[in-house]
Amino acid sequence: MAFLELDRLTKRFGMITAVDTLSFSVDRGSFVSLLGPSGCGKTTTLQMIAGFEDVTSGRIMLNGRNLSAVPARERGLGIVFQTYALFLHMTVAENVAFGLEMRKIDKPERARRVKAALELVHLSHLADRYPRAMSGGQRQRVALARALVIEPELLLLDEPLSNLDAKLREEMQLELRRIQREAGVTTLLVTHDQSEAMALSDRVVVMEKGRLQQEADPFEVYDRPKTSFVSGFLGKSNSLRAEMGRDGRLRCAERVLTGPAAGLMPGAVEIALRPERIEVVDAASGIVSGCVTEKVFLGNQWLLRVATPLGDMIVLRRNAGRNEAGIGDTVGLTWNPEHLRILPAEGAA
Amino acid sequence: MKHNGPFAVAFLLVFAIFMLAPIVVVIGVAFTPTGFLEFPPSGLSLRWFRAILDNPDFMHAAWVSLKLALVAATVATAFAVPAALAIGRGSFRGREVVQSLLMSPLMIPTVVLGIAFLRFLTVMGLNGTFFGLMLCHTVIVTPFILRLVLASVVGLDKSAERAAISMGASDWTVFRRITLPTILPGVVGGWVLAFITSFDELTVTVFITNPSTTTLPVRLFSYIAQTTDPLVASVSTVAILFTVVLMVVVDRLYGLDRLLIGEGKR
Ligand SMILES: Nc1ncnc2c1ncn2[C@@H]1O[C@H](COP(=O)(O)OP(=O)(O)O)[C@@H](O)[C@H]1O
Ligand SMILES: [Mg+2]
Repeated sequence: MAFLELDRLTKRFGMITAVDTLSFSVDRGSFVSLLGPSGCGKTTTLQMIAGFEDVTSGRIMLNGRNLSAVPARERGLGIVFQTYALFLHMTVAENVAFGLEMRKIDKPERARRVKAALELVHLSHLADRYPRAMSGGQRQRVALARALVIEPELLLLDEPLSNLDAKLREEMQLELRRIQREAGVTTLLVTHDQSEAMALSDRVVVMEKGRLQQEADPFEVYDRPKTSFVSGFLGKSNSLRAEMGRDGRLRCAERVLTGPAAGLMPGAVEIALRPERIEVVDAASGIVSGCVTEKVFLGNQWLLRVATPLGDMIVLRRNAGRNEAGIGDTVGLTWNPEHLRILPAEGAA
Repeated sequence: MKHNGPFAVAFLLVFAIFMLAPIVVVIGVAFTPTGFLEFPPSGLSLRWFRAILDNPDFMHAAWVSLKLALVAATVATAFAVPAALAIGRGSFRGREVVQSLLMSPLMIPTVVLGIAFLRFLTVMGLNGTFFGLMLCHTVIVTPFILRLVLASVVGLDKSAERAAISMGASDWTVFRRITLPTILPGVVGGWVLAFITSFDELTVTVFITNPSTTTLPVRLFSYIAQTTDPLVASVSTVAILFTVVLMVVVDRLYGLDRLLIGEGKR
């Protein structure tokens, strides 16, 4: 049995269903991300696990114990809030010591553990500062140290990096992973940033409109999305409308395409194809050909937009030290049919 | 900071003079060696300050006012803080009604309030008692505290309290260790404002005191009606000095601007 298990968890605010029969689980010691666009119910889910939001229906099990009857203060979870929620009238050390004080841990032991927690987040030199006089990244670390010092069974992080600027965010991602590994704490991170979720986690739980879309490891979620939502939300993807015929053939814009072996029920489908899986060849030898309408240089790669009979397609080419085809050129596009993902058409799922 | 134009400076100067002139005159008059109100004083003497100490009526009234302001401000604070917390973040029915009710003493003309209190205290058999006076002053000063505390409650971050709860803090511990320290500038500011308001209150108090519970403003008021000697000026000077000292202490502790304008952005 998994360490944390959500079983058909549902939360309604009046007419709005914020979380809809959501089930997923988190293994002990793992780092799991709950990923979805803003407003999809991530915070609500986290608040229900933390015990600050009532559960409409469903169950939360932690380490074999049903949490529904356990008040928030007895759940023993470490929580980092999006706004950090530091106690502004206390020093960094006092902030970190608070949870230990509540657990009636004696002074010498408290001091020892506060010191260790601050060392873990590399903040020992700022122990006597007040949070007001600190940068966003430093506050973030204080919040982490404060959540970790009580040695929680489970660490909950609500968009902990979203208030940081891009460069600091990348640094803190690495830090967060290091800290989590060193502390060995089971972690559930909420984020709307797909690259953050993929970079940090052992497993990703994708949700939309309160519902589970897919639960898998980052590679699988990216490479084998189950729904067109997942495919579009994680990274760039070409999405083509197509029709699966009764004869088992895939038709897109009146052309027959070779798809991957596995078939699907006949009917409307969607083809997803990652732009980096597409090769640019000369116009005659591609699966399709089209005219380059847009060309963006991204440093390590080029982004081309090509108008093809199948529809507009984007292509990502690694910057191999030479220029690519220019706007107005006619190019051929080709790909390995194994890289096509056939998904239920949007709305049919 | 932006520089003010000459017109603005002139305006501020006139305004400051207009505000300060009466105070300067009162303080000047208090130091006169003569037996009548004169300004500027013809000499410097502490004669009229000594006269306060020799006047048991004024001493008693000052003592009543001090006690009254202390008790009324403190009792009103004890009511206003939980009320502000409930109004500021609760979403219970009748929230606006409770708030309007508590703020209403500011809206009702003080004379009307005085007559109402007089009737009420008479019916209750509390007229002229210190307890009755205290009740009325508590009602009068509550809006001042409520307004300041409410301002700091609205800016309160709920997640800090949730963080404390998740670490195992009880409701009372959360209030004492997290909520109260966060709204403390508002609470202290409200208390001081309430204290000064009560200490200074005349219009309502006139209706509900008797000789044994006469407050300082009422005593001054009735004294002026009978005699005009520099004693009123020296008593006023002491009261002004007292208020200024209170303000300075609070300023040192919390910063006056923060207290009266409300806390700036974090
Ligand atoms: N206290 C509340 N009352 C009513 N609706 C709420 C409340 N909290 C959240 N919601 C709604 O629930 C949905 C999910 O919100 P939330 O969990 O905050 O999303 P996320 O964290 O994924 O951005 C939103 O539509 C939001 O408007
Ligand atoms: Mg959220």
